Amino acid sequence: MTTLPRLQHMIGSGIVAAVGIWVTYVSYTQQPSEAFLFPRLISTVFVVLALWTFAKACLGWTKVGGGITATQFKNLVPGLLVALVYIFWAAKGLGFYTATAIAFFILLSLYDPASHKELKTWGKRILITAVFMIVMYGLFAKLLTVYTPREVFF
Amino acid sequence: MKKLLAGAAIALTAMTGASFADGHANYPERPIMMMVSYGAGGATDFQARIVTMTAGNEDALGMPIAILNKPGAGGRVGWNWLAGQAEADGYTLGAYNIPHFIAQSIKGGVEYSRDSFEPIANWGADPAVFVVSKDSEFNSMTDVVDFAKANPGKLTFSGAGLFVGHHIAALQLEKAAGVKMAYIPTKGGGAAAMKAVIANEVMGGVNNLSDAFRAREAGNVKILGVFDLERNAFMEDVPTLMEQGFDVDNASVNFRGIMVPKGTPQGIIDKLAETVPTMFENSRVAGKMKAGGSPMHIMNRQEVLDMWEARETTLKELLAGL
Amino acid sequence: MEFLYYFGDVFTPINFGLLLLGTIGGLILGATPGLSPTMAVALLIPFTFQLQAAQGLILLGAAYTSTVAGGAVSAILLKIPGAPANIATTLDGHTMAQKGEGAKALQISFLASAVGGVFGVLLLIFLTPVLAKWALAFGPSHLFWLAILGVTVIGSLDSKSVVKGLLSGCIGLWLATIGFDDIMGAQRFIFHPSLGGGINIIAALIGLFAIPQVITMFAKGRKGDGAEVLKVQKHPISGAFKELFRNKRAMGIGTAVGSVIGLIPGVGGQIAGLVAYDQSKKFSPDRDKFGTGHPEGVIAAESANNAMVGPSLVPLLTLSIPGSPTAAVLLGGLLIHGIFPGTDLFDNHPDVAWTFINSMLIGQILMCIFGLYVAGLAAKVAQVPQSVMAAVVLGLAVFGSYSVQSSMGDVYVMASLGVMMYFLERFGFSAAPLVLGLILGPIAEANFIQGSMIANATDGLAPYFLGGPLNIFLIAVVIASVAYSAYMELRTKRYTSKEEILA
Repeated sequence: MTTLPRLQHMIGSGIVAAVGIWVTYVSYTQQPSEAFLFPRLISTVFVVLALWTFAKACLGWTKVGGGITATQFKNLVPGLLVALVYIFWAAKGLGFYTATAIAFFILLSLYDPASHKELKTWGKRILITAVFMIVMYGLFAKLLTVYTPREVFF
Repeated sequence: MKKLLAGAAIALTAMTGASFADGHANYPERPIMMMVSYGAGGATDFQARIVTMTAGNEDALGMPIAILNKPGAGGRVGWNWLAGQAEADGYTLGAYNIPHFIAQSIKGGVEYSRDSFEPIANWGADPAVFVVSKDSEFNSMTDVVDFAKANPGKLTFSGAGLFVGHHIAALQLEKAAGVKMAYIPTKGGGAAAMKAVIANEVMGGVNNLSDAFRAREAGNVKILGVFDLERNAFMEDVPTLMEQGFDVDNASVNFRGIMVPKGTPQGIIDKLAETVPTMFENSRVAGKMKAGGSPMHIMNRQEVLDMWEARETTLKELLAGL
Repeated sequence: MEFLYYFGDVFTPINFGLLLLGTIGGLILGATPGLSPTMAVALLIPFTFQLQAAQGLILLGAAYTSTVAGGAVSAILLKIPGAPANIATTLDGHTMAQKGEGAKALQISFLASAVGGVFGVLLLIFLTPVLAKWALAFGPSHLFWLAILGVTVIGSLDSKSVVKGLLSGCIGLWLATIGFDDIMGAQRFIFHPSLGGGINIIAALIGLFAIPQVITMFAKGRKGDGAEVLKVQKHPISGAFKELFRNKRAMGIGTAVGSVIGLIPGVGGQIAGLVAYDQSKKFSPDRDKFGTGHPEGVIAAESANNAMVGPSLVPLLTLSIPGSPTAAVLLGGLLIHGIFPGTDLFDNHPDVAWTFINSMLIGQILMCIFGLYVAGLAAKVAQVPQSVMAAVVLGLAVFGSYSVQSSMGDVYVMASLGVMMYFLERFGFSAAPLVLGLILGPIAEANFIQGSMIANATDGLAPYFLGGPLNIFLIAVVIASVAYSAYMELRTKRYTSKEEILA
């Protein structure tokens, strides 16, 4: 096993262990204690298993999980950023349908292997986005009558 | 940004007060949403769906009401949402359950109180009853209390959660009879509490009159007493607790109705308060409610306001010792 | 044999038309992310106001049957399980789809659903009185042990690492405690206002399964044409039949487990698929192939979650106790017409009762036929490039999680859990045990608290939780399950070390 996944595993399981410790601390200190009976039970098992995993990661004994390679990371960052902006801001800020159409189109263009130089591929992307939006509108707004946030238009 | 806009909107409407009132003349302009703080299929959800089914008629609101379920923690999740996060624009209504939300707000730990909501109208009143399984040795409330006196804290009886109507009924019974019993709150509403009774997991239970009526029709339970001021039309043979010598009033009766979050424009509240009771009086609604074994009790906004206030006083007294 | 007498009623034009409508509508609603069978059935309730009792129930029964099976479509093709029932289907179904066997996976899942479903309804017809006693046999202590049994399933569900499987389960159990505690009403671990109502299980399911999927597709970057495309090859239906008969064991285990577990009020439907999957895996000689696109896994999971449909209605129809949220909604459909389930239903309205049950039987078969047709369509749509796939799944995840209870908070929770799950998966944790913890946590907790309150008032904790044949049986299964997991862990350890030596 190379050093990179080992370090990654240490960070990953370290965060899980930290969460485990926080959960255990909260469970044993918060009131009313009757309501925290069950959390105490599970957090104890949680923290033991998490520390065990962390120790294994530090010793390099981790057997499963490939970690993330540099290329993978470089590839996923732009998409993830678009997705996060879309979910945590645009969906509410611009309205569901507007935000979804924009995010859908950007993601499609980002990860579509076809050339960016040809007009035809852009036309195809716009067409796919339009079809998807029509299906979503028909399904959620018309069939299921879900009232989604609509800030800019429809 | 949104707050700024909202602030500007409020300022604008304050300046043009006259036109603001006119703005509600054609309310509602789009479908209305009604939050029910219990799961789909529960008694409150079932009744809410029936009483709102004629909302789209021309003589009612002219727009349909869609039910939105936000279940959890005995209703706290939904009412917290209605008090804190829902938009008070008249398009978000909520179903209330009395004494549940008032009792919970007295107990604390929630973001709402009686003042967080404005009632519109009441559609139903479902008293609590005391049930035992069909092969139980108890045949009257006196039997139950005698057993509890002989075995303090040993008589187990179920109900749907803490600080809901069933719990209030249990507290009143303990207080009136001067006994200590073991109230077992179940998760999952009246159905789970009823199952515990039928399966003999507990010795008795407090449950909704409508659910108990059905269970009795199915031949599974005996009903020993009604926690109300008078006998109920659905079961004339079952005496009230008062008749059996226990001083229990109607504080635990589960009143169900429609309310809106505080801050909803007065024009809309007035319009709803005027239209909704007539919507409840629709004969189709009444027919479906009766068929389902759900007792109706229509009250207008003023009557509900008085009832809320009276209930709060009683509950504060009852819960003071807890 | 009374039910045969009412078969004719199913085939009147109106009734059959409603049956078709319910089945097709149910498949569409079931395949829509964010719509659980309960919500789908609740959406149809207003339509039944206008219909006669038997007609309304036909519509609801058909919709219930086919939404459960329809959930498999999005589970297989998009890795978005529509409801907890479909989690186990994603494990092998989606891997099959990735290998280009999407059509085959859909076909065997619908066939297995139909076999399991028909068996479940037949149980409902012939054994209702016996089953009713069974459903009541599970008290709080038994349900608690059953949930614990589910937790031990967590460890062995993912045989790669038992410790990480259990740890994932613990994370799930903890996530389930966020929000208001159900009995006391105290607030727990609410560190963000979106969590005020707790974590919605459907939103969590979408996030935990779909979002890591989307990010994995991002991570592959811009690939040239042809590579990494989700293809759906055509697959002859006869081949699917053969596959089904080759896997009689998985079929049998799935159907049996689904029928028995489906019966238990409050627990059954959600975990039937996972428990059946786990059991078939343990009994299979090809247990290493599970999770890599093995048809046996799909068959076990889907036969179980449709076999549970019939028995899950037993407590409702006989005792008038709705055993699951969906049953509660169906109860509403009956009450609207003034019919009370229980003796009243079978004595005074046999036409309604038996027409309803028969239509579920026919519904299972119709559902299978339409499902196979859908599988054929999926094969025609053929290649979906992964850039489109990633964007489609993301859009559906957002709309689906919002529509559960019209709440932006659910969307945030969905996304946060999803991103977290992607990174956890890269470090060897898995989503299935985490979700199982999320589902079973509240059941275990509520029954533990309720059981201990009863125990304290009566004969004490130890006799209540440890006494009685059913408790002892469940505890024995838990111990056996843990021992088996530990044994498997040791075995894989030996195996890995040998591999390390060779490397």
